[in-house]
Amino acid sequence: MKISKKIVLIGHFGVGKSSLIRRFVEDTFSEDYKVTIGVHVLKKEVTIPETNDDITLVIWDLEGNDDITNTRPSYLIGTNGFLYVFDMTRPTTYEKLEFDLNYIKERYPNIPMRVIGNKKDLVTNEFIKQNKDVFGRFVDFYTSAKSGKNVDDVFSNLAQALLKEAKK
Amino acid sequence: MLEQYKKEHSQSVNQYIIVQLDGTVVESDDVIFPKIVGKNISTIHPFFESIHDALKENNKRHIFSCIHLTNTNNQTIITDVIIKTFDGKKLPLIVILDLTVHYNNYQTTAQVRNESVINSQILELKNEYLQEKEAFKNTFIANFSHELRDPLTGILTFSDILKKTNLSDEQLNYLKVIDSSSNYLKQLIEDILDISKIEAGKLELVIKPFNIRELLEDIKNVFTIKAQQKDLELITNFNDNLPEIIGGDALRLRQVLSNLLENAIKFTEVGTITFNVSLNQIRAQKASIHFQIIDTGIGIPKEKTEDIFTSFTQLNNAQVYKGAGLGLAIAKHLVSLTHSKISVDSTVGEGSTFSTNINFVLDHSYKNIPKTKEKTSRPKSDKKYSILLVEDSEITQLSILKILASKGNYFLDIVTKGEDVIPRIENSEFDLVLMDIKLPNSFGDEITKLIRKMPEREHKKVPVIALTARVMKDDLKRYKKAGINDVIKKPFNEDALMSKIEEYLK
Repeated sequence: MKISKKIVLIGHFGVGKSSLIRRFVEDTFSEDYKVTIGVHVLKKEVTIPETNDDITLVIWDLEGNDDITNTRPSYLIGTNGFLYVFDMTRPTTYEKLEFDLNYIKERYPNIPMRVIGNKKDLVTNEFIKQNKDVFGRFVDFYTSAKSGKNVDDVFSNLAQALLKEAKK
Repeated sequence: MLEQYKKEHSQSVNQYIIVQLDGTVVESDDVIFPKIVGKNISTIHPFFESIHDALKENNKRHIFSCIHLTNTNNQTIITDVIIKTFDGKKLPLIVILDLTVHYNNYQTTAQVRNESVINSQILELKNEYLQEKEAFKNTFIANFSHELRDPLTGILTFSDILKKTNLSDEQLNYLKVIDSSSNYLKQLIEDILDISKIEAGKLELVIKPFNIRELLEDIKNVFTIKAQQKDLELITNFNDNLPEIIGGDALRLRQVLSNLLENAIKFTEVGTITFNVSLNQIRAQKASIHFQIIDTGIGIPKEKTEDIFTSFTQLNNAQVYKGAGLGLAIAKHLVSLTHSKISVDSTVGEGSTFSTNINFVLDHSYKNIPKTKEKTSRPKSDKKYSILLVEDSEITQLSILKILASKGNYFLDIVTKGEDVIPRIENSEFDLVLMDIKLPNSFGDEITKLIRKMPEREHKKVPVIALTARVMKDDLKRYKKAGINDVIKKPFNEDALMSKIEEYLK
């Protein structure tokens, strides 16, 4: 089975969405921060080892926004999966996490979503424990685009969910 | 002609593409992506792959702004893409508008804005972290100093008691060393606490009328002796036109002047210390007074004159001159609380001059204030008084026990736990309670609240004096609110303890 699915990375600016995609698609990382305006679209084919299925992920890297309600609706047309990314070192990027996630779930109720706490290389496990009230409730993956930690796993996990949906 | 001009000068680059419902390009004007007729639009860029379904909708118009595409020269172009579908009779139209120049300008603005927001958020976090660190440091200093006070009270009290016993000259000399060392340690603790209060912004001046001439004479007497001990001469010039009673914080003024004089004596080996005080001016119920301290000491290099006011700083002299380097830092901060500054003029090898102008309140009603505070009452010498001491430190218990025992007319009852206080008061009649504030599992101010709620009048009205090192403004407010009558600051000596006790005994 070979299918193509659109996934959208969403979250505040500077949280590392573009870096995660670059790490996943090109396996590179840059310390320099370049603001994303509008949308960059890239794609990568993923093979799910368990089923040997191929899936092409068309990845939309959206410009960061500190208010999710300002996201342009046209960018979200035809979305099959969401990756919500925040920066664990900047509380402003996850202060409204619950609101943001509910906002997406209400508008796209059956679309799979994974929540990512990025920049894991900059925080300790102790810090994550201290913030378990937020992180523990919502976060699916702690990633580091810099080290590559968990990056492939996030995309692969979402790809599997999309395949499962497609096979229903 | 207009159409001709438009053709020649228009900078917009737009491509129009007609596609079938499955995405196959039927017609294209090849402006941005050439030679695409017959190909599927999805092969041009992944963007078109994910909007494929929109082509099948009827009578819809979608605008996708600021889409990054890659042209045939492998260059990134930033475009708006419009997809227009019709009612099924006409094929869908895709319009690609190349707005790279426009969006690149926006990119620059967004870059500056986002970087600035992120940097300010990071700075805010760093600031919060530093404040937490600072608060931790101040709490640590306060707790540590508090822990030092109990043993220090023991040393000071028992030195006093020991002095009154039969000692040989040699033993008395040893005792003097213990006395002077513990007093120095006490001063160090006071200074460290003051610095931590200043840095936490918790030190405030208490403005009250006081007699400045009496204060200056008092300082003169203390420092004349200190100067003589180093074979130095203290010359004082207190101007005759100084007002007598002024409003200010006498305690802190004494501290500033003492620190400056202490510093002058410390760094002068030969010569004189001159202490000048004069009236600058009187204006709008304010008196500006000029203080100047001139020494003939080692002097300060010009480039270091600011450093001497920094906490824990001594200019390469730490090996020769003892001290934590806090005196001038405290003086500077205290003077700054009066919106003034200390200036220093110095020549290495010749000496230094420290000067400051401080404003004081000048109120005519101050003239009615008595020169010295007179004690209102003294306890009757033949009466026996019963005192309850609530204190967990054995050293402090023993110190107070020894002092009161030496007076002969006090019964002392001691409890060490907060929960034992109320039952003990219920079963006895105390004339006074001495209350430690930080007890195991309870606080003296909370216990006092319970005392004030006791049903029997003679119990709830008993005077309570706190014994504590915690005497910041907020602490004092809390004690007062809890019903504590007065405070004896730790470490204390016999005089400080007895004068407070006698004040509250009838």
